Amino acid sequence: MTAIALRMTGADLLKLRKKRGTLIWVLVLALLPVVVLFAVKAIQHSSNPVKYEAAGGTGGFTDGLRLLCLFFGPLAAILVGVEAGTGDASAGVFRDLVVTGRSRLALFASRVPAALGVCWAVMISGYVLVLLGTFAFASNLPTPDTALVLNGFAFTLLSTGVVCVVAVGFASLTTSKPAAITALIGWQLVASPLIANISSLGSGRDAVLSQAIAHFSPVHVGGGRGETVIMAQGTGLLVIVAWLAVFLALGAWRTRTMDA
Amino acid sequence: MPAEALHTSAADVPDDAPAIETTGLTKRFGERTAVQGVDLLVPRGSAFGFLGPNGAGKTTTIRMLLGLTGASAGEMRVLGHPVPAERGIALERVGAVVENPNFHPYLSGVENLRIVAAVRGPEAAGRIASALARVGLSERADDKVKNYSQGMRQRLGVARCLLADPLLLILDEPTNGLDPGGIQEFREMIRAMVEQEGRTVFLSSHLLDEVEKICDVAAIVDRGRIITQGPIAELAEGGARHELIVGVDDAEQALSVLHASQLVREASRSDEGIRVILSGDASGAAEINAALVRAGVGVARLEPVRHSLEQRFLEITSRLDAPPPDAPASEPHEQVRT
Repeated sequence: MTAIALRMTGADLLKLRKKRGTLIWVLVLALLPVVVLFAVKAIQHSSNPVKYEAAGGTGGFTDGLRLLCLFFGPLAAILVGVEAGTGDASAGVFRDLVVTGRSRLALFASRVPAALGVCWAVMISGYVLVLLGTFAFASNLPTPDTALVLNGFAFTLLSTGVVCVVAVGFASLTTSKPAAITALIGWQLVASPLIANISSLGSGRDAVLSQAIAHFSPVHVGGGRGETVIMAQGTGLLVIVAWLAVFLALGAWRTRTMDA
Repeated sequence: MPAEALHTSAADVPDDAPAIETTGLTKRFGERTAVQGVDLLVPRGSAFGFLGPNGAGKTTTIRMLLGLTGASAGEMRVLGHPVPAERGIALERVGAVVENPNFHPYLSGVENLRIVAAVRGPEAAGRIASALARVGLSERADDKVKNYSQGMRQRLGVARCLLADPLLLILDEPTNGLDPGGIQEFREMIRAMVEQEGRTVFLSSHLLDEVEKICDVAAIVDRGRIITQGPIAELAEGGARHELIVGVDDAEQALSVLHASQLVREASRSDEGIRVILSGDASGAAEINAALVRAGVGVARLEPVRHSLEQRFLEITSRLDAPPPDAPASEPHEQVRT
């Protein structure tokens, strides 16, 4: 990354860091559910230890990771990605950046690492909370080994990073914050699970991003290996790469060609 | 040389290139033609007014020059570089405020400038403090822009331009929202940029007074066409028309002398005296004076009429509003010396 690209990424990071409203929602979505999960499980366990096992341990880790990586984390990632993709356009500042003569593709490209930086900083905090809950409330239950902890960390980055980058591309394509947030959250929460459960669609369901991501989960997060749709590892990887490529290309194209 | 203050990169900006040069610049939006065949020549080191009523095509022209929207036809060069082919190089030393200056409202003034400086390049960050000081915003630099007045935003917009150490500033309706004191300060700042720092300022406005007071050269644009362009004084004079007010002791005698003179195109009484339109240039005034004296007419006053740009502008727009004569479809296009 060149010095100018680093400075531009730093500028985009500044914009995201200082957007307090969005950042608060991102933190709430990423961290609060994990805190609530372990708090509720700990209260249940303390009130009836026979019926409810300890909040931590491998079970708590699995629940926390599911919550962080497959449900609330992606929503937080969408908020970050959309903010990065539409921030300049919605503030009317994009024009002022274009008149510097800097390449529009460079302007688009700097959004991606900045969004990932903010997204991953929050998600790593979330993952640390999961680990804290896992070990602090483990009681006499087995805890994840180092390999699982590292795999969980990698999965946290993968599951939220991919969604965040797709959101940057999609938001840059639409240039409308409300439209992008509505469409992406609708897709993530409603359309994706719905499509994944329509068995008549057969292998067409392989194209659902959340299913491809879930395939790489290090813990069991549902039926089978954790995903509704069973697919080969290579297929899962291909689907993720295709989503990234398509939406980055669309976002870059729109940024390059739109009237500023 | 005033331009010594600027860090001109000789390799990037040819010294003899006009600041802006367009040929046949045209922009169509579907059936509607917003800008039609605009030929502009903006000399370096001048304050150039781009004057026209609202909707005349001023902002569209500026947007094309800056690569914000594509041209439907025609050629453009900014600081000697063809746009859009070499847009990146051309705009390196250009600062622009198009329409309203926009900022991230939740960031402070200085943070907004840091963002643009990061995009501009390494030298731009070092100019932030001086740019803020130049526009008088140093003390409010850490305030969030959402708390700025419109006038402060305009000034911050100019500060953002200065990060490029611009050879050319393009300002679109820059005094919008400024109070009278702010307008006066702004005028002085623009004149200083031109006269002391050797920058070129391209100022778009619908305010005649503003252009007349700030600019050396101007183009009048209406309905997407350049009607006339040249130095302000020549534009105001209307190119060829020279008028005199003559005060005499015998108006009848004077009128008969004037009507007989080939130097006079038209002579008539007015409240101020006799209004004379010369056939040629202003040098005919002395000969007319001599002719009147020879005829025994006492001449108490002989004063050239100074036209304002406003009069000229109204003449032009009145002419355009009149039903089209049986003339070719093209609009009259006067080219006054620039």
